[in-house]
Amino acid sequence: MPKSQKLALVVDDSKMQCKLLSVLLQEENYRVVVANNGASGVEMYIEHQPDLVLMDINMPIMDGFEATRRIKKLSGAGTLAPLIFITSMDSEQAFIDSVEAGGDSILVRPFTPKVFKAKIKAMQRISDLVDQVKNLQQEQQNDAELAEKMMSGVIEARNFALDKIGVIKKAATIFSGDIQLSALCPNGDINVLLGDFTGHGLRASIGAIPVTETFRAMTKKGFSILEIVAQLNRQMYTLLPGDLFFCASFACISEHDKSAYIFNAGLPDGYLFDDSAKIKRQFTSTHPPLGILPQLLPDAQLEVVQVMKTDRIVFITDGIVEARNKAGDLFGFPRFEIAAIDGISQKDLANTVLNSLDDFCQNCEQEDDISLVDVPCSGWKEIKLSNKVLTPEGVSEDDEYLSNIPNSSPSWSYHLHLTGRLLKTINPIPLIMNQINDLEGAGEHWQSLYTILTELFINGLDHGVLALDSSLKDSAEGFSQYFNERAHRLDKLAENSTNGTQDYVRIALRYFPLSQGGKMVINIKDSGQGFDILDVIKDNSIAMNNGIKLSGRGVELVSQLCDTLEYQEQGTSVTANYIWHN
Amino acid sequence: MTVSSNFSGDGKQLVITIDQRFDFSLHQQFRDIYNSITTPDLTYTLDLSQTEYMDSSALGMILLLKDHVQLYAGQLIISRPSETVRKILEIAQFQRLMTIE
Repeated sequence: MPKSQKLALVVDDSKMQCKLLSVLLQEENYRVVVANNGASGVEMYIEHQPDLVLMDINMPIMDGFEATRRIKKLSGAGTLAPLIFITSMDSEQAFIDSVEAGGDSILVRPFTPKVFKAKIKAMQRISDLVDQVKNLQQEQQNDAELAEKMMSGVIEARNFALDKIGVIKKAATIFSGDIQLSALCPNGDINVLLGDFTGHGLRASIGAIPVTETFRAMTKKGFSILEIVAQLNRQMYTLLPGDLFFCASFACISEHDKSAYIFNAGLPDGYLFDDSAKIKRQFTSTHPPLGILPQLLPDAQLEVVQVMKTDRIVFITDGIVEARNKAGDLFGFPRFEIAAIDGISQKDLANTVLNSLDDFCQNCEQEDDISLVDVPCSGWKEIKLSNKVLTPEGVSEDDEYLSNIPNSSPSWSYHLHLTGRLLKTINPIPLIMNQINDLEGAGEHWQSLYTILTELFINGLDHGVLALDSSLKDSAEGFSQYFNERAHRLDKLAENSTNGTQDYVRIALRYFPLSQGGKMVINIKDSGQGFDILDVIKDNSIAMNNGIKLSGRGVELVSQLCDTLEYQEQGTSVTANYIWHN
Repeated sequence: MTVSSNFSGDGKQLVITIDQRFDFSLHQQFRDIYNSITTPDLTYTLDLSQTEYMDSSALGMILLLKDHVQLYAGQLIISRPSETVRKILEIAQFQRLMTIE
């Protein structure tokens, strides 16, 4: 037969019996090796690794039970070389003992060759099944490992600033149901997400790819963190079955605003630490996990906190505080906080917490995925200011390249007039940036334009339409008061539907291509009462002279990015010229 | 048995009680208790006073129960959760989704 022959081991002290069994086995196409006592049977087993063992019970030196126990110990779990006892001891006890010793079957003499051969076939069938299961398991394991590698390639490897964010990620199985994401906003802010799908393993990790795609795409287009949360919630609601959901904490950290926006839906408290490792603030879950409700609750809102450059935000999943040691105690919040505080003083929060957790759990089986992110509140990419009127070599400032060309008309213009309720519900900046990308293609220089538009639009809305006083933002208490009041006034604006169109912000863009770049003229007009432009500028310069930086309506940053910036009509209209070169 | 259930005398209330750990291992048992019950306007009371620990898959199981209850126009009440369990329900903000007594 061309097929590789199987090998049988016959262990029997009677040469006669060995001969007889060998012949029968050979007729079934087995090769046969023979041993005449238990001890040499074990040796032969080790040497030949047979596919089938026939074992006598009463033998000198070592009996069949003992030999079987040793052989089964050697063969280990998962591999099955069927072992059949051949005996003339036709007693109940012999049967029980042979199964206890590890035998897979028993055949009682006398038997006909037909019965013997049927037995062999039946045993071979079982051992083939075991092989199949083993192969399938191995295949599945290989596939899972490959899939996991690809998934983490898609998910974590493309995270922003991996070197600055401390991360713990310890999956309970190959696949993790926890997910950590970071992405850079167009204005230089950073968005961070730590999420935990119900359960763990493959079942829990399939939602990670859509979450990642949405989080990245929306961050890149400049959607606010609450808009991203709302969209992820809708997406998870349609995607996940009824008993699966997604607990997640979000942070948007703005270095230049010295603020952070936080949203916690179903994760344990997040933390804000200062550089002396003091807990400045805890972020409690304020919303059910995502994917349970079709829409976010109407009162869903971000927590806004003032942050210092040296502060850090830390999110954890319940796998950390619910990790158990041998005695069944939970790791818990107090142990976590001690480890975190210790970690900050050692400048390595993630590893300190991980070591403390390992010490506590020893080698207990991990029940749930464990993860943490530790995000510093500064040190992100600085917004590039280099776009501002940098004249390339060989081009003088008088050249047509930078001139205003007053009489030429724009190659296109864009107007958006938002009123009433829409001012609360629509964020126009991503819409506009999308249009610009469609018309003029993508480019680095749009980053600054994004910042200019955002700052000027927010100014028009907050200080114009909503008449909020920016000086509130100077103190920590005023800071949250400012954002509460803002949310309150936006609600009122949205409710007032009859009179709604009286409140507006109008955005107008005109685009002029230049020989080596382009110019965007931005005009934003609001329906507010305006302000005394001189006062703001005076305030700002006084403050600057005293070394204090006022919130100053973001004007300072915008004027650094623009070529010109000018307020008109008592401060209700602002025009900015933004010029760049290729 | 860690899951048990019984009807009130007037048959208008079904009380489901869970002892010790409420986790994925109870999945089938838990579902079997309510799945065949189609009585309208029934009050389902999930008594968690004897529950010592609950994991996130238990939260998922409660959500499935809630779907079932809504399908038959009933009412779901979570009753007397222990301190640990209350904390888990609070983190998930379940008091926004259902009645917790």
